Amino acid sequence: MTEPRTPAQPRTPQAPAGQRLRSAVAATRHQKEWFQTVRQRAAAGEPIALVNADAPHEVFRALDIPYVVTQWWSSIIAAKQAGPASMDRLAAGGLPDFSLQYDAMPLGEQDLPAEDRPWGGLPAPRFAVAERSGDVTAKIFEQWGNRPGTETFLLSRTGADPVPDRWWELVPHQWEQAFGTERLDLLEGEIQDLIAWLEERTGRTMDYGRLAEIMALGNEQAEWNRRTRDLIATTRPTPVLVNDTMPAVMAPQWQRGTQWAVDAARSLYEETAERVDRQVAVCPGERKRLMWVGRGLWSDLGLYTRFQEEFGAVFVWSMYLAIAADGYLRYGDDPVRALAARFVGITDQLYVPPWSSQWYVKEALTHGVDGVVHLVADDTPGSGFITEALEAEGIPVLEIRANNADQRSSSAARIPERIAEFIRRRV
Amino acid sequence: MRIGVVGADVPRQVVLACGAVPVRILGSWTGAVSQEATELLGAADAVAARVLDEILSGDHDELAGLVVCNDSMADLRVYYVLRILDERGRVPFPVHLLDAPRGGGAHRRRFVSHQYERLAAFVSGVTGQQVDATSLAEAAAREAKLGQALEAVQGRRRERVLSGTTALTAYRAAAQLSPEDAWERIGELVRSAAEPVELDEPAELAGARVPVYLTGSSHPDATVYAALEAAGAVVVGEDHDAGDAAWIGDAVNAATLEEACAQLADRHTARPPAAARSLSSERTEHLLAETERCGAAGVVALVRDLDDGPVWDLAEYRPALASRDLWLAEQLRVPAGGVQDATAGIIRALQRNVNRKDAL
Repeated sequence: MTEPRTPAQPRTPQAPAGQRLRSAVAATRHQKEWFQTVRQRAAAGEPIALVNADAPHEVFRALDIPYVVTQWWSSIIAAKQAGPASMDRLAAGGLPDFSLQYDAMPLGEQDLPAEDRPWGGLPAPRFAVAERSGDVTAKIFEQWGNRPGTETFLLSRTGADPVPDRWWELVPHQWEQAFGTERLDLLEGEIQDLIAWLEERTGRTMDYGRLAEIMALGNEQAEWNRRTRDLIATTRPTPVLVNDTMPAVMAPQWQRGTQWAVDAARSLYEETAERVDRQVAVCPGERKRLMWVGRGLWSDLGLYTRFQEEFGAVFVWSMYLAIAADGYLRYGDDPVRALAARFVGITDQLYVPPWSSQWYVKEALTHGVDGVVHLVADDTPGSGFITEALEAEGIPVLEIRANNADQRSSSAARIPERIAEFIRRRV
Repeated sequence: MRIGVVGADVPRQVVLACGAVPVRILGSWTGAVSQEATELLGAADAVAARVLDEILSGDHDELAGLVVCNDSMADLRVYYVLRILDERGRVPFPVHLLDAPRGGGAHRRRFVSHQYERLAAFVSGVTGQQVDATSLAEAAAREAKLGQALEAVQGRRRERVLSGTTALTAYRAAAQLSPEDAWERIGELVRSAAEPVELDEPAELAGARVPVYLTGSSHPDATVYAALEAAGAVVVGEDHDAGDAAWIGDAVNAATLEEACAQLADRHTARPPAAARSLSSERTEHLLAETERCGAAGVVALVRDLDDGPVWDLAEYRPALASRDLWLAEQLRVPAGGVQDATAGIIRALQRNVNRKDAL
């Protein structure tokens, strides 16, 4: 565990109220501009792809096929208040509007009236590619393939077995040990099939040297995220808000493998380091450091700063920067196998016990947190093991059961009141 | 020695050749779900939670080992949870994951074949018996004989002599007993099949004997079958893995384990499509072929809450069945304690469909 880094000067200037990280604002703006270039390329007749977050995006980058990530696009649809209408369109087509909505929402968005489509709407993709996660994702992507002009390609999603201890130390170089040779063999073979499938349909040829460069850029980006994460972990008081690092990390994540994404990750680091040098504190009277385990509470991002004034309690950790730091690094001479290693267990790292609980404990200890708020996800197994592991380290945990994207659910869970009570009584 | 099985992907010949009997743990439609199981699994099919409850409450402590299949998200979660609890000594037997992805293709077949070899290593580790040509041949013969018994069940069912309830009971025996005991039990069931199915009074569909085909969630027990047949319907077939889609009775001739596993991996690709792992187009094609083979007048889709795979198939089922002049009665998102209400709803829908057909 690294030692906390504390400023030499006693006085800690507060980040000006409302001043967001420049890198967060720039990342959000870039994503909007980039989406319009995708629309323009599609309008000019270029094939574009819709891909799930866990699919090997780097293949599309190397073949210069613009791609949009399902979950990111769903977040835009939801943010633009087009989610309910999109789900209504699904239901009108006889499809369920209650099942894996974040994966399914873009299907409904395709059928919205033009004036209701966020940012002009996602052009009809030529390719729809996903892993067969869960029981439903393959069927959702099969529906894409039923639409005119779109073809679907599905990759396997194998179970997390083996699960050697301390995955974050293994995955950058020893990924054969981390994930097992047979799982990697399968996904590597399927990625090769995907490449051939795309080559046949686009007339393009994979440049494996280019793919290796893209993998290297992804690693470079992850290394910057590691530096940022480590810097935040060791700095007291904390210099940045988690609701700023979330967009600053996630928008570049969907541009992984580009120089822009590397530069964005470096900018986040440099801006954070600059704040550390200036001894900026987002909560100058910081007394309690909190960790948010689980998905972001998109319906109430203000929650993360609500306990600073009364309790001096500040959220210093969310999974978005941390998984960007630990989850994507894969070094190796064979870019296709390294790519398979990047994706074969990407969600296992976050959600499958004991990997999940081991990692959260590691992060809690390195960040020196005094308490954890655990938004329990009901779509993952063994959430209780995470709470148990943290408590075993002497870190108090508040478990909250609510839907992170549904304001009704989070209101019903009385999240602010319960966190305040938790801080008073246990932290 | 008995090896428990959660899920439907186990090649039984391999387990038998290792000197063990595969015993499927099916769960049930009814019964309380503990808070512990709910919290451990998250939002998951209640049947999987009941399976976990059974295991944690010691109902299967006599097992020598447990194999959990990655054949649905709920079963995979059961494995993840049991792996942890096993390390803590909460489960009195070793637990193993069998991961057999669907979709075919050379890469998947190779992966599945290796998975079967790992399965054999696991079971051999428990029993101390290694697989060889002799044990493979003996296992093949035992499994094939069981398969013949199940073919007889299907034949009697096609002749409308055997009820769906009895057929499901036969499949359950095949999945849970040794091949020899199951063969005996199935023989008794077939011999007693001439007895008429007793109908509830008043039996709303009495006389109609509507032949229905079941799709949707799997049926861990005959609760729904018995209610439908008591109301006058006859369940003539199903596409779930505790019935016609169970992988029982299939065996290969092979001199080595590697050969057997490779052949069985090929057979795996030819199995009926599964709601949680196959595409809706594959499922629709299978449904149409099976309803025709079984002479069904319509289809019942009963889907439990949080078992979302089947609901995505319905959008293709509806027009496909209508084009064959087959009706579809649906009950979706059936809650953990809601099977009786859902079945009553299905029976009312059957009545409406029968009346409509009569009026035509």
